[in-house]
Amino acid sequence: MYKKLQKAVAFMCILALMFSAAACSAKPTDQSASGTGSTAEAKPAKEIEFWTVFTGPDGENMVKMIDAYNQTNPKIKVKHVPIQADELYQKVPTAVKSGENVPDLSIVHVERIKGFVANDLLQPLDDYTSQNGKINADGYVKAAWEKGEIDGKRYSVPLDVHSFVTYYNKDLLQKYGPAVLDDGAITFDEVKQVGEAAKKDKVISMGITWMRVKFLSWYEQLGGVLSEDGINPSFANDKAETVLNTVKALHDNGFTNVDGEDPVQMFRAGSVVFLPEGIWMKNSFEEINTLNFGMTHMITFDPAKKANWTSSHQMVMFKNADMTPERAAAVMDFVAWIGENSLEWAKAGQVPASLKIMENDEFKNMKQSFLLNEPDSLKIFDYEYFGYAVEALDKIVWEVPFGRMETKEALTKAQKEVQDRIANK
Amino acid sequence: MKNQIALAQTPNLSLKNPRAKKITFSKLVPYLFIAPHLILFIIFFAIPAITGIYISFTKWNLYSAPEWVGLKNYFEILVNQDSTFYHQLHNGLLNTIKYTCFSVPFFIAIPLLLAVALNTKTYGSKVFQSIFYMPTLLSISSVILTWIFMFHRNLGSINNILGINVNWFGQQPFTWIAIVIISLWWGIGGNMVIYLAALNGIDKALYESADIDGASAIHKFFHVTIPGIKHQLLYTLVLTTVAQFNIYGQPLMFSKGAPGESTRVLMMYIRELAFGSGESIAGLASAMAVILGLCIMAVSAIQFRLMRNKD
Repeated sequence: MYKKLQKAVAFMCILALMFSAAACSAKPTDQSASGTGSTAEAKPAKEIEFWTVFTGPDGENMVKMIDAYNQTNPKIKVKHVPIQADELYQKVPTAVKSGENVPDLSIVHVERIKGFVANDLLQPLDDYTSQNGKINADGYVKAAWEKGEIDGKRYSVPLDVHSFVTYYNKDLLQKYGPAVLDDGAITFDEVKQVGEAAKKDKVISMGITWMRVKFLSWYEQLGGVLSEDGINPSFANDKAETVLNTVKALHDNGFTNVDGEDPVQMFRAGSVVFLPEGIWMKNSFEEINTLNFGMTHMITFDPAKKANWTSSHQMVMFKNADMTPERAAAVMDFVAWIGENSLEWAKAGQVPASLKIMENDEFKNMKQSFLLNEPDSLKIFDYEYFGYAVEALDKIVWEVPFGRMETKEALTKAQKEVQDRIANK
Repeated sequence: MKNQIALAQTPNLSLKNPRAKKITFSKLVPYLFIAPHLILFIIFFAIPAITGIYISFTKWNLYSAPEWVGLKNYFEILVNQDSTFYHQLHNGLLNTIKYTCFSVPFFIAIPLLLAVALNTKTYGSKVFQSIFYMPTLLSISSVILTWIFMFHRNLGSINNILGINVNWFGQQPFTWIAIVIISLWWGIGGNMVIYLAALNGIDKALYESADIDGASAIHKFFHVTIPGIKHQLLYTLVLTTVAQFNIYGQPLMFSKGAPGESTRVLMMYIRELAFGSGESIAGLASAMAVILGLCIMAVSAIQFRLMRNKD
């Protein structure tokens, strides 16, 4: 028995070793991709540590930008530290509290800023930006810039805006609804008309993708707000019901995918006309040669009222006792440089928040540039309890269109959850 | 130890107070032996567990200092029927228990049958043993990603081979079936190795005498094999139950709690409250975690009691 056991244990050990060896050999490539040049490694203490949430393909574009910046011989070079968003948000409070390993500069999602300020984690940047002189309101997209200011103090500088938009298959649209985009907008009525025309060919009109942000965009279009008073949730109302019932009706009439189908895959394969998706999907669609697609605003109830759910990556400095004015100035140099050289970031599929990009012809030809032409369509949500609201909505907005929950009941439940979380926080 | 004995036998060579030294040293030795485990136990279990219990009596958002609120969190989840969290605890716990009941019998039976089959030492049994064990070494993410492709409604091999059009991600009972299948594929190896080792320990003479008495294979399985590995069976039963109570990754990644909230397990609610995208409500989350811990302890205690009674 012992021999058998020994054999089994030895076998397991070998397997474990093999896997750990594989894991180890994978590490150096990760690090080399994180933008640490050999000169940077020689003087680690002097580098500006830049924590970002760009662990996906966009991380490579960020590395390129940082490398380009480091080649300009700045006073202090920048080191890219990509961390999964959830992990970053868990690490930061500990780092700030202990005062150790606080990043010099960090990317956070715009919805988080209010909470960080309330907990006194962020460093106001007013003095630093005014010293730098290149970072000011005129240079950035209004919607993204505004959210970085709380109670008269500036806490962040936007890197980009990223929205949920509508991708459309040009060939299919030509076939089933050539006049749809004449007024520059796709309405729900047009989605229905296209759906009727496309049904016989087993092509669906609209893909049901990430419902949370679609709900928010459409609810905003109807003039709905998550909270009337800024604190208590108030989204269980007629407008929210209209949104969910509209999607449900499209589904029930066979104009959308059914639950369990993957509309993104179907769009790639050319059997979906309209696909609401994030602008970050653009590059992956461009890889498909046979797919002739365009990008435009979110589908609307009223062509005159466009609203695209938008979020923004913002650059912030966490409170750090070790930060010196010289170092902060070097950080601001980098922030300003990013604003002036953000084409690479547009190549990642994003819309840079720095308006300087509008002067660039290459950007103007990119599909996502339409968003900057109509900046009023960008809707960033900054309800104080946005995090609670979206997690409550996530539990119902997917269920109602597929007929697994009753609209009114579902919305009331979600609103109650937000209320209860606020009451117990 | 040798040195110590030598010291004790030759008192003249020892230090001034040999007796005291002997007592302290011999008292220390057992602790030294268990030290590696003890230290890990304290750092990774005792301290977090005690902290967690303390946090469950407080209101804490991870940023500021915890504020003592007594039994308020427990009142909210156990008594206040009007509260969302009362329903979350009940739904989460119910789903966790459901999953445990669905999966544990298979987690015992299938590895046992595999182990018995492998134990016949048929041609290639070692290869199969490795193959069955292999998935255990994979991370939950890679396991789920693989199976998401397999269960895909349109492109998945399962629907296509069976010629059906089932939405495995959002239609009961199929979602539970899929989650149990995935968990089984991932986890059978652990129990199987234990059973294989146990089967090797059964006295061959018992099988021989059963043969002489004319026992069938099924008789031998129930009257020789099962009693022979009784202890390992009960041991794995307890461990598997506890492990399945902690289910999290499978429903989180596979079904995201859908359809409705029917596969949303307690750990998912706990994580959302403590580390969701809004401000953390860690006190309430800890209270839920303590209740989950108590449930696991109660189930283990019952199982251990049954084990002892059978002895």
